Amino acid sequence: MNQTLRICHLYPDILNLYGDRGNVLCLKRRMEWRHLPVEISKVGVGEPLKADDYDLFFVGGGQDFDQEVLLPDLFSGKDQELKAAIEDGKPVLAICGGYQMLGAYYKTWDGKQIDFIGALDYYTKGVKTRMIGNYVFTFDDRPGVNVIGFENHSGKTYLGAGVRPMGTVLKGYGNNGEDHTEGVRYKNVFGTYSHGCLLPKNPAVADAILSAALERKMGNGTLNPLPDHFETRAHDEMEKRLLG
Amino acid sequence: MQAMKIKTFLSILMAKMTKSLIRMLGRGGTDFPGRVAMKLDHKVLAQCAKGVKCIVVTGTNGKTTSSRMIEQTLKDLGASFFCNKSGANLITGITAEFISNSTLTGRCKCDYALIECDEAAFKEVSTMIDARAIVVTNIFRDQLDRYGEVTHTLNSIKIGISHSPKATLCLNADDSMVASIADDFKNKVVYFGVNVPIYKKRVQEVSDAPFCIKCKHEYVYDYVTYGHLGGYRCPNCGYHRPTPDVAVVKVLQSDAVKSVVDLTVDGTPYRATINLPGGYNIYNACGTVAVGRALKLDMTAVIRSLSEFAPGFGRMEKLVIDGTPIRMILVKNPAGCNQVLNFVTNVTEPSVFVVCLNDRDADGTDVSWIWDVDFEKIADMGGQLKGLFLSGVRADDMALRFKYAGIPEDKMQVIKDYETLMKTCAAQKCPVYIMPTYTAMMDLRNKITKMYDVKNFWE
Repeated sequence: MNQTLRICHLYPDILNLYGDRGNVLCLKRRMEWRHLPVEISKVGVGEPLKADDYDLFFVGGGQDFDQEVLLPDLFSGKDQELKAAIEDGKPVLAICGGYQMLGAYYKTWDGKQIDFIGALDYYTKGVKTRMIGNYVFTFDDRPGVNVIGFENHSGKTYLGAGVRPMGTVLKGYGNNGEDHTEGVRYKNVFGTYSHGCLLPKNPAVADAILSAALERKMGNGTLNPLPDHFETRAHDEMEKRLLG
Repeated sequence: MQAMKIKTFLSILMAKMTKSLIRMLGRGGTDFPGRVAMKLDHKVLAQCAKGVKCIVVTGTNGKTTSSRMIEQTLKDLGASFFCNKSGANLITGITAEFISNSTLTGRCKCDYALIECDEAAFKEVSTMIDARAIVVTNIFRDQLDRYGEVTHTLNSIKIGISHSPKATLCLNADDSMVASIADDFKNKVVYFGVNVPIYKKRVQEVSDAPFCIKCKHEYVYDYVTYGHLGGYRCPNCGYHRPTPDVAVVKVLQSDAVKSVVDLTVDGTPYRATINLPGGYNIYNACGTVAVGRALKLDMTAVIRSLSEFAPGFGRMEKLVIDGTPIRMILVKNPAGCNQVLNFVTNVTEPSVFVVCLNDRDADGTDVSWIWDVDFEKIADMGGQLKGLFLSGVRADDMALRFKYAGIPEDKMQVIKDYETLMKTCAAQKCPVYIMPTYTAMMDLRNKITKMYDVKNFWE
């Protein structure tokens, strides 16, 4: 079997806001630093997606203007492929707009409903004021680890019974600023509002995703530890600022 | 009516007094008098701007440099004018500048005002001034934590223009968003643009406008100058780059000191020397020439001025400390920073680089943009890179970015203390390029003037 971890960067041409491409770079480097084979493929608008070709998916956030271009493309087949991959236990990391997109729908503040792919049990409601700022939340997959990031969204996401949150907000807004949840977890899907970008400063999350992908692909998700001095310093500096 | 006048008078008086007081205290606050004035009379700017022909420079990047170029032109032509300086480009700073050039009764002493104006502030400022020329430099993603989306920026500019029926619009033809503005208005338009690629090798960057502003189909490019600028056309609806009235037709030279280009204005050829390095400054020069054409200024004189002006506040400023040449270049968003990298990584001598990253309000509180900048180009410099220092509040984030860009950890150093940083820079045996965000630049300046006997290298 091909041992190369095949990462699909979905819609890098549209969902490329707020430095989210750094997440793909992070996944790639953390494989390379461990001398594990990895390859990145970009799948953009108009290019077919075959879920079988990949072991891990990344989808970022974008601007509203560009997302209108995206939806017709998404519903011309990519949605079914993504759903199949998710049910098949393949890891997906989805940020902000990409996170919302995996849910059922988005209702704008003036009542217009935009249907999304409905792979996961949650929906998003637009509000007029944006939720912006550095924030910190627990990472429930790794008790004791806090995730730091930057959120910037006007959508409030409400999780249904079929999914659980990625963690609890310690400072900031999170999914909706009301129930203290942040992000989503379902099988091997990790969804979150966190930019920053997310993975470089939160190596525990990066490794959790890589580990899930390797476990599924090779039956062994054990990863050698890396010297994360720079990562830890950047993480701890902000954690200290937010939590004192 | 009488009450209104007293309010305006008091507002101007207080602003002038505040300014004198600040000066006596030796502080440099540029917008505080404006804030005081606006508290007393929200519309004081409208009074002071009566009868003044305004040239407005707006857009995401290049506002300050374009303004300095236009300023040089107006100065050389002997025009009666004033301008807002030092990045005072919000309504408070602009109000302060008008008041300080007005009598106590609110009559302006100059014929022209040259106003560098933040895109968001332009909406409001434009309701109170008489704009005769408006330059829109470009639209890129900027601190999105503040403005939201690029189309939002575009809309702000359009609202400002809707208040300015007498203005000739000087629009960047190579920016699909900026060029599209013309279709919404009856104003006269002068397009400027660059007909040929500028850089031999370019940084990798994300396009901020890949899809047609009219029909959302993907553009086709005949060439790209940088970012999303270049010769675009939409194969679906036919929207395309308009033919520029002011056009660079050939780039003869673009090095670490200056650029030399051939350009045409309504078909008449000129050769221009632009006294500032960096390909993106060719656009700023074109915008300046477009203003010259809009206001019917002597074209030969306008072009001569381009070779004579001095760089603005933190835009390629050069100083020499203990024999070490140090250049300070403001960085504030991915597009601007990528263009700075296009320039600094094309220099041929070994150099030291410094990035000072702050995340205060004026810098943008979200630093994730550093991941959209092609810092890998600095890693690609290999032996040309003599050292890399990271500073500012978010220095650790910057170090992490460079680690992922492929710079060995032992080749970079985090130096958060500015005094130590400047001493380290001054001790280098090769040129040093400092790239600070806005508030980091202000702090560094203060430190440098305190530490060294350099004459005020800015105004």
